[in-house]
Amino acid sequence: MHSTKRINNRAIIVGLLVIMLMAMTCYQFINVNMKYFDFVMRLRSPKLLAMTVAAICIGSASIMFQSVINNRIVTPCLLGMNSLYILIHTVVVFVFGSTSTIVNNQNLAFILDVLLMGIIATTIYGYLFRKTNYNVLYVLLIGTVLATFFGSISSTLMRIMEPNSFATLQDSILASFNNINTDVLVMAVVLIIGVFATFWKDIQLLDVITLGRSQAINLGVDYDKTIQRILMSVTLLIAIATAVVGPISFLGLIIANISRQLFSTYKHTYLIAGSAMVGVIILVGCQLIVEHVLTYNATVSVFINIFGGIYFLYLILKTQGA
Amino acid sequence: MKISHLIKKYGEKSVVNDVTFEIPKGKVTSMIGPNGAGKSTVLNIITRLTQRDGGQILFEGKDIKDWQSKELSKKVAILTQSNNIQMKLTVKELVSFGRFPYSGSRLTEQDYKFVEQAIKYMELEEFQDRFLDQLSGGQRQRAYIAMVIAQDTDYVFLDEPTNNLDIYHASNMMKIARKLCDDLGKTVVMVLHEINYAAFYSDYICAFKDGKLHTFGTVEEVIQKDILKSIYNVDFEIMEIQDKPLSIYF
Repeated sequence: MHSTKRINNRAIIVGLLVIMLMAMTCYQFINVNMKYFDFVMRLRSPKLLAMTVAAICIGSASIMFQSVINNRIVTPCLLGMNSLYILIHTVVVFVFGSTSTIVNNQNLAFILDVLLMGIIATTIYGYLFRKTNYNVLYVLLIGTVLATFFGSISSTLMRIMEPNSFATLQDSILASFNNINTDVLVMAVVLIIGVFATFWKDIQLLDVITLGRSQAINLGVDYDKTIQRILMSVTLLIAIATAVVGPISFLGLIIANISRQLFSTYKHTYLIAGSAMVGVIILVGCQLIVEHVLTYNATVSVFINIFGGIYFLYLILKTQGA
Repeated sequence: MKISHLIKKYGEKSVVNDVTFEIPKGKVTSMIGPNGAGKSTVLNIITRLTQRDGGQILFEGKDIKDWQSKELSKKVAILTQSNNIQMKLTVKELVSFGRFPYSGSRLTEQDYKFVEQAIKYMELEEFQDRFLDQLSGGQRQRAYIAMVIAQDTDYVFLDEPTNNLDIYHASNMMKIARKLCDDLGKTVVMVLHEINYAAFYSDYICAFKDGKLHTFGTVEEVIQKDILKSIYNVDFEIMEIQDKPLSIYF
C-alpha cells in the first residue's frame, strides 16, 4: 500500500507536468499569425516566464507558510505584504510624482520593491516574532492589523494625489502579466535561485517541522531557528513575486490547497512542486481567457479573487463540517 | 543524568526552584505532585523543550546545552501530551521519523529494520498503513511510542502518557513503559497524575510541590501516609497489594 501511494503521487506529478506543459504550449502558440511569428513569441515568452516565476514563488511560499503555522487556510497574504507593496508604491508616486525615474524605470522599481519589502518585512516580522516568543498566531493578528493600517495610509494618500499620478499608480498596484520586461525577470529568477540555495537545508526540514515543536526538537532540529529562516524565505519569495507581477499572493491559498488535496502526503517535495505547477496551470489558463476571450477587458487578479474567494468559502465550510 | 539547582521563572514567579536530583540509569522514575508543582516544566527543561534560568543538567559528563541537538536526539527521546498533527501521516511514516536523527529523510535498509521492529513490538502491524487521524486515542499513543522505540535512545521521557486514555489503555501504557525498561534496558522517566500507577509500575518516585523537590526515593520510601499528605494536603491510607504500596485518598 505504501508503495502504491508513492507511485500514485509520482503519477500525479507527471500528470500535472503534462497539463502544465500543454497549457504553456497552448498559450505560446494559440492564434499566431505566421507573418508576425517572431514578434508574437517575443511578446508572449516574458509573460509565460513571469507567470512561472509568480507561481513558483507563491506556490512554495504558501505551502511553507501553512506548514510552519500548521493551518491550511492561511496564506502569507495575512502578513500584510500586499498592503505593504501598495503602500510603498503609493508613497513613491506621491513623493516623487508619476514622471520620476523611480516610477518609470522598471528595473529600478523592481530592485527597490524587493529591497524595501525584504528589509521592512523581515525587520517588522522578525521583531514581532522575537517579541511574541514565536507565537505565530499573534504575529498573524498583528499582520492583519498592519495590513489595514498600511491600507489606510495608502488610501489617504491616493485621495489627495493628483489624478494623473493616481492613474499611473493604479496600473502598478493591480496584478498583471502585461508589460513585464526581461531584465526584471532575469533578476527575479536569479533571486529565486539564491533564496532556494540559501534556505534549502531549512526547507528540507519542513517534513519534521510539521510534527510540531516538541517532536521536531526531540528529533534534533533547532526549531526556532529553522522556523525563523523558513519565514524569512517565505517573506523574500512573496516580495519577489509581488515585485514582479503585483499583489497576487491570494493565489497561494488556492494552489497550496489544491496541491494538498491532490497529494495526501506530508512530503513537502511533492506539495511544493505540485503547488507551483497548479499555480502555472491556473495563471496560464486565466491569462488565456483574459487575452483571447475577454480581449484584455479584465486582469488575471479579477479571476483569482473571484475564484479564490469562492474556494476559500468552500474550504471553511468543509473544515466546519469535518 | 544529574540535575542540580534547576531554576525556572516566569516573570517574577519561580515555577521551578532549586531542584536537584539524579535520574537512576536503567530504572523507571515517575514524577508526581499536584497541578502547578513544576513537574512537567522540569521534564521539559531536561529534554531541552524549555529554556532554564539557572542550574545544571549533566548528561554523560556534559551539560545538555553543550550537546549538539542532533547527537542528543540519539540518546534522549521525549513524548509530550500535545501531539496534534494536521498532516496526513500514516503510522509507518510517523514511526519512520524516529530514524530522522540518524539518517535524515533518506532511510537506509537498517533504518527500515528498526521501524519494522518498533511497529511489531507495539503490535501495530495491521494499522501501519492507516492514517493517524483514523486511529483511536490508544492506538495513536502506541504509534508515538513506536516512534520513540525506533529512535533507539537510552533515555525515554514521557509527559503524562496516560492522559486521555481509559483505564484499559492507561494500564497498558504503563506496562509498555515497564517493558521499555525491563526488556529494552531503557531509562524511563514519566510525569504521572495517578499516584497508584506511579507506585505500581516505577522503581523511583520524584515528588514535587510548589516548584521544589519534595521527596525523592524508592517507591516504598515515598509512598507513605504522612509524605503524601504533606504533598497533596489530602488524607491518605496506604495498603499493600502484590507487595506494592497503594494509596487510597479521600
